[in-house]
Amino acid sequence: MCGIIGYVGFRNAREILLEGLKRLDYRGYDSAGIGLISDKLIVYKEVGEIEKLEKQVPAINTTAGIGHTRWATHGGVTKANAHPHTDCKKKIAVVHNGIIENFKELREELINRGHKFTSDTDTEVVAHLVEEAYDGCLEKAVSSAIKKLKGSYALAFVSKDEPDKIVAARKESPLVIGVGDNEYFVASDIPAFLKYTNRVIYIEDGEKCILSRKGVKIFDENDKEIEKDINVVDWSIEEAEKAGFSHYMLKEIYEQPRSIADSFRGRIYEKEPHVTLNVDVEVPESITIVACGTSFYAGLAGKYMFEEIADIPTKTELSSEYRYLGRKDETGLIIAISQSGETADTLAAVRGAKKYGCKVLAITNVVGSSLTRIADYTILTRCGPEIGVAATKTFTAQLLMLLMLALDMGLKKGTIEDARVEEYITHIKKLPSYIQYVLNRNEEIKRIAEEIKDKETVFFIGRGINYPLALEGALKLKEISYIHAEGFAAGELKHGPFALLTEETPVVAVVARDKTYEKMLANIREVKARNSPVVAIADEKDMDVESYVDEVIRYPVTPPVISCIPIAVVLQLLAYHAANLRGCPIDKPRNLAKSVTVE
Amino acid sequence: MIKKAVILAAGEGTRLKPFTENAPKAMIPVANKPVLEYVVNALVKSGIHNIVIVVGYKKESILEYFGDGNRFGAEIEYVTQKEQVGTAHALLQAEKYMEEDNFLVLPGDNIVDEKGIIPLIKEKHEMVLLVKKHPQPSKYGVVEIEEGVIKNIMEKPVEAKSNIVSTGIYKLNKKIWEILHDCAKKGIYDLTNVIQEAIRRGHILKAVENEGKWMDIVYPWDLIHVNAKILQEISYSTAGKIEENVVIKGKVCIGEDTVIRSGCYIVGPVVIGKNCEIGPNVCIFPSTSIGDNVTINPFTEIKNSILMEGVSIGSNSLILSSVIGKGCFIGTHFSTISGGSILKIGDEYTEVENIGAFVGDGTIIKSNVVLRPATRIGVECEIEVGNVVGGDIRSRCKVV
Repeated sequence: MCGIIGYVGFRNAREILLEGLKRLDYRGYDSAGIGLISDKLIVYKEVGEIEKLEKQVPAINTTAGIGHTRWATHGGVTKANAHPHTDCKKKIAVVHNGIIENFKELREELINRGHKFTSDTDTEVVAHLVEEAYDGCLEKAVSSAIKKLKGSYALAFVSKDEPDKIVAARKESPLVIGVGDNEYFVASDIPAFLKYTNRVIYIEDGEKCILSRKGVKIFDENDKEIEKDINVVDWSIEEAEKAGFSHYMLKEIYEQPRSIADSFRGRIYEKEPHVTLNVDVEVPESITIVACGTSFYAGLAGKYMFEEIADIPTKTELSSEYRYLGRKDETGLIIAISQSGETADTLAAVRGAKKYGCKVLAITNVVGSSLTRIADYTILTRCGPEIGVAATKTFTAQLLMLLMLALDMGLKKGTIEDARVEEYITHIKKLPSYIQYVLNRNEEIKRIAEEIKDKETVFFIGRGINYPLALEGALKLKEISYIHAEGFAAGELKHGPFALLTEETPVVAVVARDKTYEKMLANIREVKARNSPVVAIADEKDMDVESYVDEVIRYPVTPPVISCIPIAVVLQLLAYHAANLRGCPIDKPRNLAKSVTVE
Repeated sequence: MIKKAVILAAGEGTRLKPFTENAPKAMIPVANKPVLEYVVNALVKSGIHNIVIVVGYKKESILEYFGDGNRFGAEIEYVTQKEQVGTAHALLQAEKYMEEDNFLVLPGDNIVDEKGIIPLIKEKHEMVLLVKKHPQPSKYGVVEIEEGVIKNIMEKPVEAKSNIVSTGIYKLNKKIWEILHDCAKKGIYDLTNVIQEAIRRGHILKAVENEGKWMDIVYPWDLIHVNAKILQEISYSTAGKIEENVVIKGKVCIGEDTVIRSGCYIVGPVVIGKNCEIGPNVCIFPSTSIGDNVTINPFTEIKNSILMEGVSIGSNSLILSSVIGKGCFIGTHFSTISGGSILKIGDEYTEVENIGAFVGDGTIIKSNVVLRPATRIGVECEIEVGNVVGGDIRSRCKVV
């Protein structure tokens, strides 16, 4: 990951860049740096949080510069390895998000030609390549240098000899331009400059741009100047603020009644036509869902939805594995799920699928992201920016998108009756209230988190659609509280993992009173027989479960494909409180970054 | 120059149950806006953009709705009153955010407008209280005024000496912090009593009376009256989809993505939120507020009522002068009856007229249920088919 930012305009660049970096640090936060340009080019770098960097940078009055916040991929976390990187003469500075795959050969060649390197990173080669090609014109040098690069990049350059210019280029790593009045921004992500402008130009792979105080020029891969549309983004900066909440994650959890309502608004109706997603996709013979992490678990839940409601055979594949798997089924539909739309593994999977002629439907939260440009169809989750590294509101929205898609396909295929669809839609409209039901029980969930926070291992079990929920519950807990947690299909426990059960291993059981109920109770009894404490997540009217377990967290009575959403909120709050009670840095967990744009 | 204000929004508002079980009083919706939004808007329109909100009870709903205030043209900071001990204690929490010499203090749970606030700001005197005439002064802080200066404020007196009451809206000077601290040490946590102490110490508190709006909502039926009053000021707008053969008269406001189906008859003032499905053949009469994501099934009449977000109403139902909480699921052939009743709330008896029913969030009411006048049903209740229900039903109960 990493986040990059560049600014040229009339405001104090130091402030703009540091502030922008703070808003980008969810992309990477092990070190940071800025390069300020006026009559001099000065670079400041520091290990640790942006606040540490801030202390180092004096209050200089400059109005242009570039900045970087790092998630280390090549080279350890050191001051020398932090960006911006400079050339031998210290006249060119560059910041980079991505991975230069052939950097080793390039580095050797450059060293042989006399260049001196000061870091272990792949990025530094780019600075020296530009130095070699430099002849007074930054963009020509950059254009020539990047032709030698293999890999992914979002790059921003400044040159001491051309203090009015920032040159940026993109290949596979996200890059977006913010258009202000006599000021221009370039960054990895919109929140970096949303406070100053919401007018955005999306840069595509192969394109380069020159930013100056007078304007922006964009060039395609053949160096031909092109015109691009300016989009107005309807995110407000306050959506990217914490505003009173102690963590972004908590704010985003509490946002869910609203974000889920935004996700279905205008898309569902109890009466005809029921579901209007504005994607003209035919009902497929089969579906393959590709995704990573939490999105993958949403996909797993989606499998249950597509098979039960629309009777369409559905496979789920981890994006990172999909490329190695043999047969790509070109008659089916690929559904790719990615919050950021920039997840490298998922993009690679989708590109691979398209080569076979498959049709791809993307479910994503970011307009204009790479995934939306490769996919044939896109459904946006409309959640506003999600800053907390652990996915919360985007997960529940993804579940809802999959459900609505399943309902739509089921209706078209005739596998579900109108009356049932109406019933589901009535429930969907009540999702904000169902989520609120769980939020109202926040204190109870916190109390239960107290009981598990000091444990070393927690297990999560579920059946049917609640099996992927159990997996997600475990992921949330381990992501932010660092407690080792594992999810299992309840039926699988006895095939091995049982050996791990002790009095010190709590088990969280997600229980639904559907066809899985009796067997879930049986599984819970088996666990209790080994003396492990059991917390059940059960519906409001489930009285029987109480006698088998130590604690119960309730969710409202709804069909399982609906209740997976409030259950997800229970699991989020459980993880949040466990992490908070342990003093973990919830919004920026160690070793993680928000959008995994590397493979 | 007044630049900053403190809004006290930490309170629960227990007399507004069941609607305050899951939300603070300041967030109860009137004409589809939480009460607190009216306060924030009044401040912004009066030129005050820097606002500190003291939150406490169920604060997340306030934080989530207002965020950093940008959406409302304000910059909002929050401070939490961890335990709701009293209004003076609440104000004290905001001390570290207030370096101003003069600032406004307002309650977050009364509806106000800028017409009431601007004169307060313009007053040269450093300590000012906005007062109003009220027909039932003994429920409030009754003031005694001599030559425009407040001599005395008595909180909820047994016998009210005048019919002029404190609105709880003050312009205060930074000297108040010391008095607040002193009173806190003596265990005085109520703001009115602290102000009384300030007067006793010789501070001059000027009284200002004006035509600005000030509406308090104490009991659930107050919601109906205040809702009707506020609705008088809305303007016509529709962003939704309106089918053929729909009649819309008067001031009606319809939100985005809402569908009004054929045969509906809507007479304003009525406000309808986003993504609702109304009809076919539904009648909505004044003065009614319908929140987002509400479904109203055919042949239903809604009049003089508030339906909060996510509610669904079954067909052939009648809802009069009632308030239905968030996410309630109401079956077919549901009726409220509008009428009079005598209710006991806390230790007081109150007589009400022309009032329907009050149903808390998340309640499920099955078919053919009738609710008598002034029935109050708690949150997450369940009423089985065919019941005639009256009185108070506690939260999470089932009527079989």
